[in-house]
Amino acid sequence: MPNPLKPESSAITTCAYCGVGCGFKAETRDGRIVRMTPWKEGKANHGHACVKGRFAYDYYLAPDRATTPMIRRSIADEWQPVDWDTAFAHAASELTRIQTEHGRGSIGGVSSSRCTNEEIFLVQKLVRCAMRNNNVDNCSRICHSPTQFGLSATLGAGAASQHFDSVLQSDAILVVGANPTEGHPVFGSMMKRRIREGARLLVIDPRRTETVDSPHCRATVHLGLRPGTNVAVLNSVSHVIVREGLVNRAFVDARTETDEFDVWADHVADDRYGPDVIGPHAGLDPDEIRRLARIYASGPNSTIYYGLGVTEHSQGSTGVMCLGNLAMACGMIGREGVGVNPLRGQGNVQGGSCLGSWPHMFTGYRFVTDPVVRGEFEAEWGIELDPEPGLRLPNMFDAAVTGAFRGMYIQGEDPVQSDPNHHHVVRALEAMDCVIVHDLFLTETAKYAHVFLPGSSSLEKDGTFTNAERRVSRVRKIVEPVAGLADWQITMRLMQALGYDCHYEHPSEILDEIARTSPAYRGMSFDLIDRVGSVQWPCDENAPEGTEVLHTERFPRGRGNFMLTEYVPTRERTTDEHPLLLTTGRILSQYNVGTQTRRTANTVWYPEDVLEITRDDAETRGIKDGDWVGIASRFGSTRLRAKISERVNPGIVYTTFHYAQTMVNKVTSDLSDWATNCPEYKVTAVEVLRVAAEPAAATEASGVPAGAAGA
Amino acid sequence: MTEPVIEIERLEEMANQIADFFSPYPEERAVEGIRNHLRNYWDPRMREALRDHDNAGGAGLHPRVRLAVARLREDADLRAYAGPPRGAA
Repeated sequence: MPNPLKPESSAITTCAYCGVGCGFKAETRDGRIVRMTPWKEGKANHGHACVKGRFAYDYYLAPDRATTPMIRRSIADEWQPVDWDTAFAHAASELTRIQTEHGRGSIGGVSSSRCTNEEIFLVQKLVRCAMRNNNVDNCSRICHSPTQFGLSATLGAGAASQHFDSVLQSDAILVVGANPTEGHPVFGSMMKRRIREGARLLVIDPRRTETVDSPHCRATVHLGLRPGTNVAVLNSVSHVIVREGLVNRAFVDARTETDEFDVWADHVADDRYGPDVIGPHAGLDPDEIRRLARIYASGPNSTIYYGLGVTEHSQGSTGVMCLGNLAMACGMIGREGVGVNPLRGQGNVQGGSCLGSWPHMFTGYRFVTDPVVRGEFEAEWGIELDPEPGLRLPNMFDAAVTGAFRGMYIQGEDPVQSDPNHHHVVRALEAMDCVIVHDLFLTETAKYAHVFLPGSSSLEKDGTFTNAERRVSRVRKIVEPVAGLADWQITMRLMQALGYDCHYEHPSEILDEIARTSPAYRGMSFDLIDRVGSVQWPCDENAPEGTEVLHTERFPRGRGNFMLTEYVPTRERTTDEHPLLLTTGRILSQYNVGTQTRRTANTVWYPEDVLEITRDDAETRGIKDGDWVGIASRFGSTRLRAKISERVNPGIVYTTFHYAQTMVNKVTSDLSDWATNCPEYKVTAVEVLRVAAEPAAATEASGVPAGAAGA
Repeated sequence: MTEPVIEIERLEEMANQIADFFSPYPEERAVEGIRNHLRNYWDPRMREALRDHDNAGGAGLHPRVRLAVARLREDADLRAYAGPPRGAA
């Protein structure tokens, strides 16, 4: 008998999980995937893989995969299966009716970083050309929108300055609010390799993560700061650098706005940012702040990697600016081994940012309010475009509650599980007349939808992803779309049903259109990527095969700009009712809200979200390891099991957000970043109490402790 | 005066947060920074709701937000500087 696992054919594709974007060889037999092996030629992963990309692929065959379009009049009704034409016609007639009754701005859409660049681009085109407004957003709104804002303000490009391999030339590696050994494991392994060779690791994170202390990975300095004090601590690091004369003045003079530098240096050098002031406020030893500053400034090559621990705060954009300022002040940008690098959460978050799914920006980070830029798109698309910025994703929900926003196309996102302030999102969705969910599964959000369009996984379509190092790689169709259509076809058909005439035979034509309208992608094509494997933007006539390191001679904005970064404490404070601070993160074997990984055998490693709590905090509440606990904030509550942990500090509790039954976003606050509305997932005041046993079903009603409301 | 597109408390909080960011800057730069941010990032209906609230006395608004809103009103058609918060005034 032939070996049933022996593959008959294979193709190279890109993993859709984290922002590393590993190249994989997907092997099939009888039209099914039998094995995913890491691709040795992959420039992001060099033949390495993690437990998600390697094994968590069979979600595409999960028994609850949705395969038929469905519609219903009301969310109280049963779903009615229909053919594609009926679904598109129904969706289009509903959206058109809403616009007729409530105005052009009463509908919008959101795109997904689980989808390809081409598909994300099409969603914004649908909103701008078929809905005729700019109410389009992408999921980086709730993770890395501050990156784009903060890095654009300081350096001029909202993306990683380096390629991953650059870390192999770093002497000091500063990791802020990220846990690459679990969140970005393949990059984490490369980082560990450099640490074994002697590079010093500096970590700023409230939790003693695996990155802080694990085999081959031990931080020389770990600043285990109190959640919400990033900007204070980073200003204090800069304070030490300025006061101790560690600034790289030659770099500052040659590359930055020196007037702005002088103002900034005075700002951070003020006594109020001294380590002796900030240390006690942030729960840190002042000498450790000094040590970190000295090691970072002395390099010779120091690099910064950061994650959602920087961005998901009410001062998220300010925190990112602090990192840009710091790198410029020490001259740690513009060559190999240095730089400022966001570790992106999903496979295509960088693509989501690049491809113009923003209410205020077209592709290439250019403003819709700019008539020259708008004119280019009007010429390409043959239609007059709305000159005003649209609603951001959280604004759409806010406007739904007042009745101003009534229809929404949601591509591959599950805001009921992933967006902040769950109750508010549910109230908003319930208030809408037409919610169109386009996804692989009947997600939590689909419970509030009127039209369901069954999507295709990244194993079932062609396109490209842009990873966290700006690398554009091919996604190749390995198996046929389970529901019959690739996602780009679904969006295209919806656009056509809405009356905007556009047609593509193949996603390569969409990338060609992206190249025509986006400076950084100007030289990109499927042919080029097929020929050279993958290409990092910017790719144009000056860099025909892409660019590994940014800012080598000048910044995109010309001279680098130092921004003033006043520390403004979050309004979220602990109180007598809510004396603990909750912070959130993720784990190696699971991915985001778990839509995919929960449907694979990876659940064996991590079957449920757990709440990490110190032994003392647990004992004073009568909680033992493994007990069920209720966790409540001003906003809501949920239940999960407690885990006694030494990774968190006293007063801090931590959990992940992978499971729908936990739905930690019932607890997290409605505060958000000042510039981008990115939610403050990382700081919520809570109380934790022991509860009897596992809840039977939904826990909302069991509620917030008495007296907590409106605290 | 129309119904605000988003509850005014929410808009007020968002606008005041922007003012807090610009607090270390001199008044002129801060007001221009707030004005540009509102012009480039806020849906016109959100700006209109903020203007209405300001017209009605602007209770709860940071004084610099009120100055920025006045500037929005004066040059509503003027294209904002299209970029991140600008360094130079």
